Amino acid sequence: MTGNWPLELVLAEMTVLVLLGPLVTGAIQQMKARLQCRQGAGVFQPYRDLVKLFRKGTVQADTASGLFRVVPVFVLAATVAAGALVPVVRVGPAAFPLGDAVMLLGLLALARFLTAIGALDAGGAFGGMGASREMTVAPLVEPVLMMVVFSTAIAAGTTELGALAAHRGSSWMLAWGAPDFLGFAAMLVLLPAETGRIPVDNPDTHLELTMLHEGMLLEHSGPGLGCMLLASHTRQIVTLGLVAALFFPVAPPYGGAAGLLVAAAAFAAKILALAIYLALVESSYAKLRLFRVPQYLGVGFVCALMALALRIL
Amino acid sequence: MDLGSGPNLMAACYAAGALSSLLAWWSGRLALVVAHLGALAGAMAGLGVSLGVLLGPPGRTLIQPLPALFPFARLSLSVDGLSAYFLLVISLLAVAAAIYGPAYLRAHSPASGPARQAAQGFALNVFLGCMALVCCAGDALTFLLTWEGMTLASYVLVVSEDRDGENARAGLLYMVMAHGGTAMLIVAFLALTERAGAFDFAALRAAAGGLDPAMRTTLFFLALGGFATKAGVVPLHVWLPRAHPAAPSHVSALMSGVMLKVAIYGILRFAFDLLAPVAAPLPPSWGWTVLLLGTTSAVLGVLYALQQHDLKRLLAFHSVENIGIILIGVGLAMILWRRDGAGGALATVALTAALLHTVNHAAFKGLLFLGAGSVLCRTHVRNIEELGGLARRMPWTAGLFLLGAVAISALPPLNGFVSEWLTFQALLGGASRFPGPAGLVIVLAAGMLALTGGLAAACFAKAFGVTFLGRPRTPHAEHATEAPRPMIAGMVWLAALCVVLGVAPGYAMRLLDAPTAGLLHGPGASAVVTARGPLVLSTAPTLSGTDATAISMTMMAALLLGLAAMAWGLRRGLGHTAPRTAPTWTCGMSPTPRFDYTATAFAKPLRLVFEALYHPRREVTRETAGTPYILRRVHYAGEVVDLAETQIYHRVERDISALSQAIRARSTGRIYGYIGFVLGTLFVALLLIGLRYG
Repeated sequence: MTGNWPLELVLAEMTVLVLLGPLVTGAIQQMKARLQCRQGAGVFQPYRDLVKLFRKGTVQADTASGLFRVVPVFVLAATVAAGALVPVVRVGPAAFPLGDAVMLLGLLALARFLTAIGALDAGGAFGGMGASREMTVAPLVEPVLMMVVFSTAIAAGTTELGALAAHRGSSWMLAWGAPDFLGFAAMLVLLPAETGRIPVDNPDTHLELTMLHEGMLLEHSGPGLGCMLLASHTRQIVTLGLVAALFFPVAPPYGGAAGLLVAAAAFAAKILALAIYLALVESSYAKLRLFRVPQYLGVGFVCALMALALRIL
Repeated sequence: MDLGSGPNLMAACYAAGALSSLLAWWSGRLALVVAHLGALAGAMAGLGVSLGVLLGPPGRTLIQPLPALFPFARLSLSVDGLSAYFLLVISLLAVAAAIYGPAYLRAHSPASGPARQAAQGFALNVFLGCMALVCCAGDALTFLLTWEGMTLASYVLVVSEDRDGENARAGLLYMVMAHGGTAMLIVAFLALTERAGAFDFAALRAAAGGLDPAMRTTLFFLALGGFATKAGVVPLHVWLPRAHPAAPSHVSALMSGVMLKVAIYGILRFAFDLLAPVAAPLPPSWGWTVLLLGTTSAVLGVLYALQQHDLKRLLAFHSVENIGIILIGVGLAMILWRRDGAGGALATVALTAALLHTVNHAAFKGLLFLGAGSVLCRTHVRNIEELGGLARRMPWTAGLFLLGAVAISALPPLNGFVSEWLTFQALLGGASRFPGPAGLVIVLAAGMLALTGGLAAACFAKAFGVTFLGRPRTPHAEHATEAPRPMIAGMVWLAALCVVLGVAPGYAMRLLDAPTAGLLHGPGASAVVTARGPLVLSTAPTLSGTDATAISMTMMAALLLGLAAMAWGLRRGLGHTAPRTAPTWTCGMSPTPRFDYTATAFAKPLRLVFEALYHPRREVTRETAGTPYILRRVHYAGEVVDLAETQIYHRVERDISALSQAIRARSTGRIYGYIGFVLGTLFVALLLIGLRYG
């Protein structure tokens, strides 16, 4: 099922990702609740939160500039645009190329940069603290992510995610070599950092000095906060989708609607598996001190470096 | 009018600007206006010439003889594709500087005398003219003379603002290092001219054909040393973060944006043209050295930039970083040239990335320096800790600075991303061509490039956030007003360049055809990068024949805009409550500017993470009121050292002073002793010559 995929399908995939983003967060929260012997609010709670926020009014900090109002808009737009680059059911490049893995990471970096700018705009210490920490962790995560992407891209000769998936073909399970295992291990280390979860960040706290991402959202309210939250749900599913595309592409042997269904089911299974991983890690580890995070990410760096070295040498 | 006389017309415009500025020494205002009008005319002429050559028939070279000033050399100007491209970059930024300059100089230092303003106008025109002519030089003598003129004119501009200790020291350091570099260039050129018996480049090229490999490599490294000093490559960069901020801001923009690029032009001219072996790849040591220097400069430049709190100094360190990124592309092109299969397409991609980053860096660094200049002329403060809250007071400057910050951080959809994307693709392609340790080094360079991008984003989140957002921390920032309109216009011109080169880079590839095809004797940039039409950027297909990677900046920008429009709908909300404002949440206390995060605090986590490279020094003194529990005041001083400075320069300085102390002990003060030294030296020299030729 490789071939040229029309732009409409790519945009439809993007829409599906955006709509399913909150569901993944809900699923992780529900699993965490069960692991902690709580009832949980159900997997649809993030949707209810979003609807509530979009109905509310806005309270804006009096020191904030006009930029503060547009930050959520562009953060959401950049993150959703990154979603257009993740293959959900397609295997193979799109007919009209939009972007590749480098562009995807670039768009996520743009969203992060703008979030940090927005956090500094209100002029509170919490926003600055969150922005400073986020912009400390990000430059350490991004190169390693890029190296993991390169470790698979060098074999495929392209950084376009659909084409990468097609290159792996349907027999990836048999073809996995040492570089793939190491690259995947690096990805598992990086995933909590990139999705803002324990042990790097804690998505559940709001007024502790441990937070990174939530600290930057403190001054946003109402629909603006809704946009930021939707962006972070989308960012999470996009990151999970990137892992799935790099390491577990599924190309059903037959085309048509049945093929699409199989591919969609496979995608859901992959995302669910990674979500379970995130929930397990969040429930079984404590958050690291900020200055231990570089050492933690160093493990990922070493794995990625070994993956690259084994691929090239 | 004939295109052939274009270079002369351009030089005449700059000369007229320079002279009329001097003639108007009695009125500073008039001097500034005529000087910048001359610069604008020269820049327009330069644009005309360069576009004429770049869009003209392929392989076109304008050759224009110059008046015979010296009996032993024929001087000439020669504009080929590479020259025209760099002339284009210079002229694009010169237009912005000429629009911005008069208003800036008047607003920033209204009290400066007319003589100084006339001198500034004169030096600006000489500086611009010499930069343009270095790129158009057709012989070694013209090159060296204009190169020296560029250095001297920029020195005058560096010390023109005020001649107090800091600036004078910066100027002196700049002069010493620039002349050290020029000395290396003179040796490299003279070694060639001696063999050629003539000064023009065609003769030098022919003479270089017969060089033995060791001599060729020696000459290349001499030239590289000279140009790297000018380009501010680590570890030869120490003058740059001192000298660039000292000049008036539009001159800083020119120095960072294009003067460094003239050195890149020199490296390209030497490596691919003058010294290149006939029909053989370049020696491997050249490309790998340049790649290594580039990677080091990129990472160290951005790391040091992160810890700067002087806005212009921070930008100057980012120039070191961006020169590094350009050199990564140049080095890779040198490594790959005539070595990769697939018709040399990959070397073209690498060189295209480097050249595109050259113009991109000129656009966004120019924009950022002009923005910093607007802030400076309204607040007279360069330390960003003392600013804050300027976005509400200078909305245009803030918006344009933010645009430049996004561009320089290599974030889509602006131009910085495009050239870094091409560099990434060239590096990946290169890595798959060289299996083994060489490939691993190339991929690690790509990893370092990713690190550089991430750190640049962190640095500009700090620089923009602390300068423009939050609350004003001092009265300087509190009473700032928007910059005058001509200054905004200069910035808008560069911002438009950043957007156009980011959103529609495919259309600019046509301009890169002549330099890439001319240097590499292979396919032009547009044949490789825009093989699928101007809307799509794609790379060379791999050896295994799989599809090349392709992206479309235009489509992505359209998608972003569409999504932003939809997100704006969401942002307005489903309810109909009017937005209201409230004080920022500060745990119940009343907010003051001291709640804002400072630049020092913002950069602190990264300072600790990269402690090994910073050697941070920190002094905290506490004044207590008798008991340690009651603090009167805390004094904090922190500093980050430049490793190159402490580990190399300070040592050399110590050694030189030790040596001179030792020599002083030998000097007796008697004239006979000195005559003895001179005779002894002469004897040794004659002996050596006799042994050599005897």
